[in-house]
Amino acid sequence: MRYWMPISTPMQGEEVHGWLVVVADDDAFQRSYASAILRKLGFIPIEAADGVEALALVRNAGAQLLICDLDMPGLDGHEVVRQIRADRSEAYVHILMVTGSGQRGERDRALEAGVDDFMAKPLDAASLTARVRSVTRLLAHEKLLAERNRTIAEAKQRIEDDIRIAARAQKRLLPAPHAELGDTQFHSAFQPSNILSGDMFAYYDLGDGMIGFYAIDVAGHGVNASLLSVSLGHLLTSDYFRSQVATQPGSPDPAALVARLNERFFDADGQDYFTMFCGVICRATDRLHYCQAGYPPALLVSDDGAITPVGEGGFPVALIGQMDFQNASVAFPQGSSLVLLSDGAHEAEDAAGTAFDDSRIAEVVGASATTPANIPAKMLAALTEWRNGIPLDDDLSVLVCERRSKP
Amino acid sequence: MIKALPGHENGICVVDPGLERLTAANATAFRDELIALLGNGEDRLLVDMSAVEFVDSSGVGAMVGVLKKIGNRGEIAICSLTGNVDKMFRITRMDKVFAIYPSRAAALAAMSERP
Repeated sequence: MRYWMPISTPMQGEEVHGWLVVVADDDAFQRSYASAILRKLGFIPIEAADGVEALALVRNAGAQLLICDLDMPGLDGHEVVRQIRADRSEAYVHILMVTGSGQRGERDRALEAGVDDFMAKPLDAASLTARVRSVTRLLAHEKLLAERNRTIAEAKQRIEDDIRIAARAQKRLLPAPHAELGDTQFHSAFQPSNILSGDMFAYYDLGDGMIGFYAIDVAGHGVNASLLSVSLGHLLTSDYFRSQVATQPGSPDPAALVARLNERFFDADGQDYFTMFCGVICRATDRLHYCQAGYPPALLVSDDGAITPVGEGGFPVALIGQMDFQNASVAFPQGSSLVLLSDGAHEAEDAAGTAFDDSRIAEVVGASATTPANIPAKMLAALTEWRNGIPLDDDLSVLVCERRSKP
Repeated sequence: MIKALPGHENGICVVDPGLERLTAANATAFRDELIALLGNGEDRLLVDMSAVEFVDSSGVGAMVGVLKKIGNRGEIAICSLTGNVDKMFRITRMDKVFAIYPSRAAALAAMSERP
């Protein structure tokens, strides 16, 4: 038997070779007729004699086109379509339904079930070709989108890998969680909100009985903030720190360092700025000299457990040019500790939107007043509990400076 | 989205930020909207913060960004800072940088005295 074929060559410009099509019809004649047309068009038809078989083929062979007779014994066309749509597979399956002339009323139901287009019986080559062409255009478009998605996913993966490497480099700039400089111990914890952080801190023995430290919080977070925090971390070596704060023996000048940074990092057209707490401990006088530049006040914990905020506030760094930065000082005797917390702690909100705030911070600090080494870990634990495990919106650093009691 | 209420005496334009939180998430858009007002010739801005419950460092940066943009060509004042926002402005000494008033009425009165 010969069928008249209006098209003798595969479609031009549309790559259909190797694409699978499931042809489902309980009538073997109809099936092989449709298959022959599809083969001519470059597809690979797979035939199914009933609905159950059609469903299994679509699910297992990865076909993205199904040509399906409405009337089939067992699972009819409607049910096959409903089940395919219920699968919610990643690749969309295009469904062309073949209906008899008396079944026009069934079409609304079939559309509802998820059919894309219809063809009337008896199937003719021109009508099938036109519809298959339309599906082919969609499939080609889907393939293009899938390729773009893959490219984007790969680029995203590369960026995330790079960011993780950058985060490790940033973390390496931070000092050890516990360290001892003479009679003074430092304890710290650091938790970035978003892999990369805008927080930075360090401490050093400046010689001449002085210990210097700072904590910085760059406004914003993410890559932009971390770049600035890392360049600050590299810039603020102990030599640089000493050269700025220790110009006059006996009177440390942390504000001079802050003013220098303000001059260096202020950009009239820029947006980047940071807050900072910069301190120098004088062992001979048991005093802390500090400059608070927009950073939250520090907490001074005395040996009897009393907690006093240190710092009345001050201009942030690099926000406005030519600002006046102030020094202040406070007694910091042996046996007491100083706690610095970035505002990620104060601003951390619970599920109801309540900020963790000063009072709860003081509670956590007070509970560990006699064991300051535990404060960083206890603070992280309290915040994690407060947030019910949800990561912080802002970077968090905790720096505790403990002056050991006299033996 | 800010709500601008222009047409007060002496060309003062009152701005309601229309936000409960001014943070890294919306600070840039907020700044751009205020700068757009400047572009429309509104050079005396009063930002009423009564409905703003939280401002982070990016929010402060946005405000200062507008201040820098205005320069000597106009002014930006702030009124009705509440709770944590007031604390944020004090810790960062923004009370020394911006003209800050306790209420909208007080701000309008003070600003009208120096047209």
